[in-house]
Amino acid sequence: MTGWYATSIIVIALIFACWGLILILRNRRPDLFLAAGGVLIELLVIGFLVGGIVQMISSDRDFARAEFVCYLITCTAILPAAFIWARSEKSRAGLAVIIVAYLVLPILIIRVQQVWAGSGV
Amino acid sequence: MSSPEQPPVGPATGRGFGRVLIAVYAIFAVAATARSAVQIATKFAEAPLAYLLSALAAVIYLVATVALARGDKTSRRVATISISIELIGVLVVGAASLFFPDAFTVTSVWTGFGSGYGFIPLVLPIVGLWWLRHTRPQSRPKK
Repeated sequence: MTGWYATSIIVIALIFACWGLILILRNRRPDLFLAAGGVLIELLVIGFLVGGIVQMISSDRDFARAEFVCYLITCTAILPAAFIWARSEKSRAGLAVIIVAYLVLPILIIRVQQVWAGSGV
Repeated sequence: MSSPEQPPVGPATGRGFGRVLIAVYAIFAVAATARSAVQIATKFAEAPLAYLLSALAAVIYLVATVALARGDKTSRRVATISISIELIGVLVVGAASLFFPDAFTVTSVWTGFGSGYGFIPLVLPIVGLWWLRHTRPQSRPKK
């Protein structure tokens, strides 16, 4: 749960957050690269969800399992929600919504890792 | 929340900066709801007051999110009231957790003025009230 896979999701999300910031500062609309990043990250996060649940089932350690699954599901939901919410907004604010999602995702991943490591609510 | 057949221009509270504000409110609504649901389901008896406070915060974030997204006359009023309660809540809980730390051994979104969440819970209601004022209908031409 704390391995290279989670770290790479965090790094990629931050890269695309930076890309979003570059676009917003240059007053551009969200581009194909940003959307492709969203798809890539979403696929990685779905892998994270499946892997997380498999690891949770095969582990008999005592940790906050309900929370763990909640955070994993939130991780997979945030990018699609952000893209849907941003779609009908034509101004730069739509892009800002996507940037927020790219920045919040790493926090969620870290929370998943913290819950996995055993620190509670 | 917004259906595709709606005209592209929604309520004033949901356009432009409001889009971002509502997104942040939605994140806090989800975070606070999930957190308080887990707390109440697993260890409510440990600290009922703190956990009820968490639940109250969650409800306020949910109401504010929906009201800001809807943005009609009634919703604006609902948003103003809920965000005002949110501001009072974060100030009171924040101050109380500072002066009586023993009573706040379990954390909520508002503990320490929202220090566990980058103080965003403190800034959010202020920005929210400003935004409601900023998007007030027919308030632009004259004072």
